[in-house]
Amino acid sequence: MKRLIVLGVAMAALALVLAGCGGGGEEQKQADPVLKIGTLSPLTGPYAADGNDIRQGAEAAVAVIKAQGGLPGFSDIVVVPADSACDPKQAVAAANKLINDKVPAVIGAYCSSATIPASETLAEEDIIMITPASTSPAVTERGLPYMFRTCGRDDHQAPAAVKFMKEVADVKSVFIVDDKTTYSQGMADGVAAAAREAGIEVLGHEHVNQGDKDFSAVLTMVKDRNPDLFYISLQNSSSGATMVIQARRMGVDAILMGQDAVFHPKLIEFAKADSEGMFCTFGDIDTSTQGYKDFLANYSSKYSDPGAYSAYSYDSAMAYLLAVRAAGTTDPAKVREELLKLSFDGASKKVSYDEKGDSGSNYTVYQVKDGQFVPYWNSLTGQKY
Amino acid sequence: MDYFIQQLINGLTLGGVYALIALGYTMVYGIIQLINFAHGEFFAAGGYMGVIFISWLAAQGVHPYVCLGIGLVLAMLYCAMLAMAVERLAYRPLRQASRLAVLLSALGMSIFLQNGLMLTQGQYDKAYPTEITAGGFQLGGLYISYMQCLIVALTVFLLLVLNLLVFKTRIGKAMRATAQDKVMSALVGINANHIIAFTFAIGAGLAAAAGIMVGLYYGTVSYSMGFVPGIKAFAAAVLGGIGNITGAMLGGLIIGMVEIFAAGYISSQYKDVFAFIILIGVLYFKPTGIMGENVDDTRV
Repeated sequence: MKRLIVLGVAMAALALVLAGCGGGGEEQKQADPVLKIGTLSPLTGPYAADGNDIRQGAEAAVAVIKAQGGLPGFSDIVVVPADSACDPKQAVAAANKLINDKVPAVIGAYCSSATIPASETLAEEDIIMITPASTSPAVTERGLPYMFRTCGRDDHQAPAAVKFMKEVADVKSVFIVDDKTTYSQGMADGVAAAAREAGIEVLGHEHVNQGDKDFSAVLTMVKDRNPDLFYISLQNSSSGATMVIQARRMGVDAILMGQDAVFHPKLIEFAKADSEGMFCTFGDIDTSTQGYKDFLANYSSKYSDPGAYSAYSYDSAMAYLLAVRAAGTTDPAKVREELLKLSFDGASKKVSYDEKGDSGSNYTVYQVKDGQFVPYWNSLTGQKY
Repeated sequence: MDYFIQQLINGLTLGGVYALIALGYTMVYGIIQLINFAHGEFFAAGGYMGVIFISWLAAQGVHPYVCLGIGLVLAMLYCAMLAMAVERLAYRPLRQASRLAVLLSALGMSIFLQNGLMLTQGQYDKAYPTEITAGGFQLGGLYISYMQCLIVALTVFLLLVLNLLVFKTRIGKAMRATAQDKVMSALVGINANHIIAFTFAIGAGLAAAAGIMVGLYYGTVSYSMGFVPGIKAFAAAVLGGIGNITGAMLGGLIIGMVEIFAAGYISSQYKDVFAFIILIGVLYFKPTGIMGENVDDTRV
C-alpha cells in the first residue's frame, strides 16, 4: 500500500514537471518579454517623502505608455522599486538587487552621495541610469556613457541663488548652514564661494548633522551675527521645516532661503506660518504646458498631489520609454543614441540630453506665499514673474 | 554675555530632554542590569501619541493648554503600558538567560517598535500643532520661548515627583530594595516582577513626556527620532553613574550643555564629538560615573 502511494506521488510529480516544461516552452515562444524599469530612491528614512515621489513619478510614466498601448516587442512594463535610503552602502546593495532583477534601466537615485556609488555599480553592467534629482556636478562629470540627468546642476544653482541675493533681495551679508552630505555641503560651498565673489559678506558657514532636531545652538549664533539672509542647505524638507520653525521662534528675522532639497510642499505643511516669505531655488516647472497637465492628470488620479521631484522622475522614465520605443530594443548603446536624439515636451521642461547626459538647468526662485510656493524670479531671464 | 546666557538656556532645555530619557535607562539598568535599547522607541512613540491626542483635542476646540495636559497624560499612560507589554514579552521570559540574550532581545524590540511606528504612522514626519505653544518673551537681550520654559518646568516637576516616588513611598522603597538585592527582597515578600514592570512603566512615561516636549519644541516627530537621543541619553546615564537617578539628571544636563556650547562656540560639526569625549574622559578617570554606580552586584 505504502509503495503504491509513493509511486502515485512520484508519477504525479513527474507529470507536473513535464507539464511545467511544456508550458514554459510554449509561453516563451508566444509572449514577448516584460520590460522592467528599476527605481532607486530612499523609500524609508528621513528622505522617504522625496523617494516615494520618484517611485510614483516613474510608475505614472509607465501607466501613460501602457495606456497608449505599451511598447512593441514587450508584453508588459513593470516598475521594480529599490530603496537607496540616501546611503552609499545601501544604494550599492540596492543597485545589485536591481542588477539581479535584470533591469536594463534605473531611474534614480535621490541623494548625490548615493547616486554616485550606485552608478558605478550599474555602469559595470551597462545599465542606463537617469537621475531625476541628483544635482552634484560629479554625477555626469565622470564620463560614464550611460549616466543621464533630468534635473539641473549645483554649479548652476548656486550662482543662480547668489544672483538673486545680490540683484533682487539686495542683501549685504549671509549666514550659511548645511548638513554635510555630498549634495548639501557642495551646494553650500558653492553659494559661499559665489557670494564672496559677488561681494556679499559670509558671516558664517556652519554644519549640522543629518537628522538633527535641535538647532538652537547654531540658530543662536545666526541671531547673534544678524545676517541679512540665512541660507539653509539641508538634505530634506522636514529638517528644513524644523530649522525654519526654530529660527522664527528664536527671533531670527533674516530673509530665509533654501535650495531644491528643502523645496517641497511638506516644508509648508510642517512649518506653516513660519515658512511664509521664505525663498527656495528649484528647477522651473511650467505648470501651464500640456506636458505638465498630462502628467498631473495621470499622477493625481493615482496618488496625492505631486511632490518636488515627481515631475522630474516622470520625465526621466518617459525619456527612457520613448528611447526604447524608438530603438525597438533595450540594448544600452542603441538606447543611448536614441536618448541623445530625443526631444520632447515633458512635465518639468523640454527634455533633451547633451553628450555628458545633462539636460540643462533652469533655476527659478520660488517664494512661500499664503501657504504655497509661488514662482518669484527666473534666473535665466533675470525677470520677476 | 547675552549670547552666553542664551546658549545656556538652550543647553538647559536640551539637557532637560536628555535627562528625562536617561532616567528610564538608568532605572531599568539599576533594577535588572539591562541596557534597554528599545527605550528610545518609547520616546518616539510618546511623540506620536502626543501629536495624535493633541491634534484631535485641538480640533475639538479645547483650550490649548488643556489639550497639552490631557495629551501628555494619555501619551505617558500609553507608553507606560507599552513598556510593560514589552517587558512581559521580550525581557521577562529571559530573566534567567545570559545578559547577552536579553541585550539582543532589546535590540530586536527596538527594531520591531521603530518599524511598527513606520508601518502604522507612515514614513513621513508628522507636524505638531506648534501654534498652541508659540511665542515667548524678551528679557533684556535674551529671547525665551514659552516652550523652553515649559520644558524646563515640566522636567523639574517630573524629577521632583520621581524623587518623591522613589524615596518617600512604599513602592519606591520596594524598588530600591529590588535594585539592591533581588533575592533578599523576594524573601521579605516583594514581588520582583511587579516592581520591574512598574520601573519600566515609569521610565517609558518619562520618555513619552520628553517625546511630546521635543515634538512641540522642534515642530515635527518622525518614526526614527528615538535612536540618536536614545544613544545620547544612554551616554548621559553612564556619565552620571548608571543606576543612579540623580546621576542621570546631572548627566543629561551635562551632555545637553556640552553639545550646545560646543556647537555655539566651536562648531556644530563637533557637538557630538565633544559630548562623547566628555563621556570617555569621565569613564577613563572615574569609571563609575560622576555620582557613582548604584546597582545590585549580587548575581542571581
